[in-house]
Amino acid sequence: MRKNDILKGTLVLLVLRTLASGRKMHGYAITSHIQQISDLLLRVEEGSLYPALHRMEQEGWLRAEWGTTEKKRDARFYSLTAKGRKQLAEEQESWSRLTEGVARVLRGPMEAK
Amino acid sequence: MAWLDRVWNVLRRARLQRDLNRELSFHLTEKIEELEAGGMSQSEAVRTARLQLGNVTKYVERTREMDIHRLLENTLRNLRQAFRALAKAPGFTATVVATLALGIGANSAVFSAIWAVLLRPLPFPEPDQLVQLAQSNPKMKAPFVAPVRLADWNRLNTTFQSMTGYYTEEASEISGELPERLTRAFVARRFLETMGVAPVLGRDFTPAEEHFGGPTVVLISDRYWRRRFNSDPNVTGKTVRFGKTFVPIVGVLPANFQFPRPGVDLWSPSPDDAPFAHSRELTWYTAIGRMKPGVTLAQARSNLAAVQAGLGREFPKTDAQISAAIEPLKETTVGSARSSLVILFGSVSLLLLIACTNVAALLLSRATARQQEIAVRFSLGASRGSVIGHVLAEAFVLSISGAALALLLAEAGVRAFRSLAANLPRVTDIVLDWRIVLYSLVCALFATLACGLFPAIRGADRDLADSARGTRTIFSGGGRAQFVLVGVQVSLAVTLLAGAGLLVRSLQQLGRVSPGFQPERVLTFQVSSSWGETSDMRAERRRVDRTLERIQALPGVEATATTMDLPGIASDYQVELMVEEGRAETEPKVIAEGRAISPGYFATLGIPLLAGEVCREEPGIYTMMVNRTFANRYFRASPVGLHLSQPNNMYLPKSVIRGVVADARELGIHREPAPTVYWCFSPGQPGTHYLARTHGDPRAMSEPIRRAVHEIEPLRSVFDVAPLADQISDAYAENRMRTILLGFFAAAAVLLAYVGLYGTISYSVNVRQREVGLKLALGAMRTRIVGQFLSQGLLVAALGCSGGIVLALALTRFLSGMLFGVSAKDPMTLTGVVIAVLVVSTIASLLPSIRASRVEPIEVLREQ
Repeated sequence: MRKNDILKGTLVLLVLRTLASGRKMHGYAITSHIQQISDLLLRVEEGSLYPALHRMEQEGWLRAEWGTTEKKRDARFYSLTAKGRKQLAEEQESWSRLTEGVARVLRGPMEAK
Repeated sequence: MAWLDRVWNVLRRARLQRDLNRELSFHLTEKIEELEAGGMSQSEAVRTARLQLGNVTKYVERTREMDIHRLLENTLRNLRQAFRALAKAPGFTATVVATLALGIGANSAVFSAIWAVLLRPLPFPEPDQLVQLAQSNPKMKAPFVAPVRLADWNRLNTTFQSMTGYYTEEASEISGELPERLTRAFVARRFLETMGVAPVLGRDFTPAEEHFGGPTVVLISDRYWRRRFNSDPNVTGKTVRFGKTFVPIVGVLPANFQFPRPGVDLWSPSPDDAPFAHSRELTWYTAIGRMKPGVTLAQARSNLAAVQAGLGREFPKTDAQISAAIEPLKETTVGSARSSLVILFGSVSLLLLIACTNVAALLLSRATARQQEIAVRFSLGASRGSVIGHVLAEAFVLSISGAALALLLAEAGVRAFRSLAANLPRVTDIVLDWRIVLYSLVCALFATLACGLFPAIRGADRDLADSARGTRTIFSGGGRAQFVLVGVQVSLAVTLLAGAGLLVRSLQQLGRVSPGFQPERVLTFQVSSSWGETSDMRAERRRVDRTLERIQALPGVEATATTMDLPGIASDYQVELMVEEGRAETEPKVIAEGRAISPGYFATLGIPLLAGEVCREEPGIYTMMVNRTFANRYFRASPVGLHLSQPNNMYLPKSVIRGVVADARELGIHREPAPTVYWCFSPGQPGTHYLARTHGDPRAMSEPIRRAVHEIEPLRSVFDVAPLADQISDAYAENRMRTILLGFFAAAAVLLAYVGLYGTISYSVNVRQREVGLKLALGAMRTRIVGQFLSQGLLVAALGCSGGIVLALALTRFLSGMLFGVSAKDPMTLTGVVIAVLVVSTIASLLPSIRASRVEPIEVLREQ
């Protein structure tokens, strides 16, 4: 099965959801997490991830700080802010509305040619 | 503040880049490790990881671009929307832009004058070190310094790098076909050194040239070099000719060096070791000093005071009474223009404030009218900040357009200013340069904040917007703020108009004054001569008499005279006189203005003789005349026949009073006649004015007189030819400039107040159309509707006027030194101003009120 590149706009939702556990995670961990949870169905492109993280930090959804990993490497750890949590709720809501809408359209009768 | 962070990131790109690089390299390391764990060889893992990660710098760029983008995007969106919205309201936009252009343009024009004249440093190196020095004496105000004393000061002080001095004369250069009048400065040693300039061509004077009896040489101005010598690089060694002497040129001074004043074309050494320069009593240098670096004015003053005190002990007879005065050169150059410029700047600043108030009122009306739109924005989730940003963007677009138009206006204004204020020092330096453009932009920024912020905050008021969500016509109190702003405008306009009114009244009063002499039909001119010629006084007097006789003989000339100072133009030469016949100690000292004139002076100017006879030049005795104030103040009986002398003045010896003449306003039309003595003595020294009373238009005589002088004095040039009335009028040019400009600003202020009031009432009429329609439908008289709106406008105007009067009473005292014949609180002027403003306000409110009463109830009610 082909790996799906993440739909534009959903990356933010996925990152927010990933961080919702409350754990502080670095960018690499976020990528691995999304890929693992989705059973490798979703692939996070690094080229989108870091700008997105940066933007989310600017919006005040994420907090970032430098720390050390277990392997004693410097990494930037991200965690969710209260604002981010609110944003997550909103995005989840709109996502489910979107998917439901799409699903209904797909289930609906085919137009006759 | 997210947007602040973003700005920060844009500014701190280096740090952002470092952070991101570190983050990405961490990512890469982890990835490689994972791939290796999966069984890849190291090199392959690195390659794969890199491939997956892609171009690192691209991310960095992208991340940063995003910051800039979001910032720019928001701003651009706001600006775009503002443009679109404004294009839909061309009337509103045009009014606002024109108002701002007027306010900012006038302000920038006056600021350019302030900058060029008052603020800009003088065009010399380290100009703040330069000061003007003078010797002052309780008996006599003299701006000049004796050469020998200047040399002493220069030698004995410890706070100056160098001191120098100069005097000027009008020379007649005769190597061309016609004599050409040139202004020639004679400068003491160390002149170029003190001023801090060097010749761009040739050399400075040599010590030999600065000694008495040494060769005479001349440095020429860049202007003269270009005009006369066609920028010849080999000009040194060529000569200019004065009388019989050919003077070699040794160098050319830089183009921007215009000292002592613009128009000086020649500089020659003035040997301070000449025999006549040894007197401690004869003063003729205007002295300039350059202080040492770091020396303050106070230090220089106390140092020179000590030096002069020492000289006082050494030469008690001549120096004990004298003290040294020091003023910054900039102050003596431009100080006189300060009060006028400051007043004008104050006025244009008020005008700008009015313009801003006007625009704020208009924006407020607009914001209120758009409440519904804003309410929609809110309900769509716009934040308060974004709504404010939106309104501010509009104000910004308006201000910038206003500023652009203002620069065009300012350019025209600067040109008008230069011609109006031709007498102001450094007036030719007034130009629009980048500073003025910058200043206009700052004004525009100020205008944005002043005009836009209040309406923006009010317009973005959620409650107001909520209330407007339902029906458009539910409207209460929103107009109050506009009316307050209009009231403020009216009061500022009243203030400006009061100031202008007072100046106009002063000018009128000045025109009504009878000066005590008749300046009409009198032509004035000068004839070039040099100070050197004054060594033979008798020859000089013969020359002047011959010239006067020749002119007198011309048909169309009634009388001729000479004087050292033109009547009616401010000049001070106060002297203390001794009465030879004796005078009691108890009686007041005899202090008078002194003037040196030829006997024909009184006939030429129509000053009547009151007692005694008009002086003549008599052999063996000097004669003088006194005016009535002098006779009445100092003598109980007629002073005719008494002898007056001036202690310590060898130049004007003991003289006998031959007669008393009527008072004339010699010192200026605006000044009461002072006690005056006239020495009947026409020395013909440089600066002597010739007067000729003519039958008809004095201008028509200028050519015949020029030719007549040329016939008998072919080597001299005639210059400064102008009717006396014009000369006096020129002396009051600054008054006129102030009056005209302030009048213009006041008129603009009244116009703006008119627009403001008209706009606000119109707006109120529009908003309340439905109410008016209902009232009319219910049978209200149309006149009552008119009355309702009119009284609203007049109430605002009346309140504004009272505020304006209070403000005017507080501010016009700054004008008091410039007023003549009216008090700063002149009730007539203030009443006139209030009446004028009320009339304008009535018109401004009446027009929209009438429009309101014409509303057709049916249409309005149907429409809504």
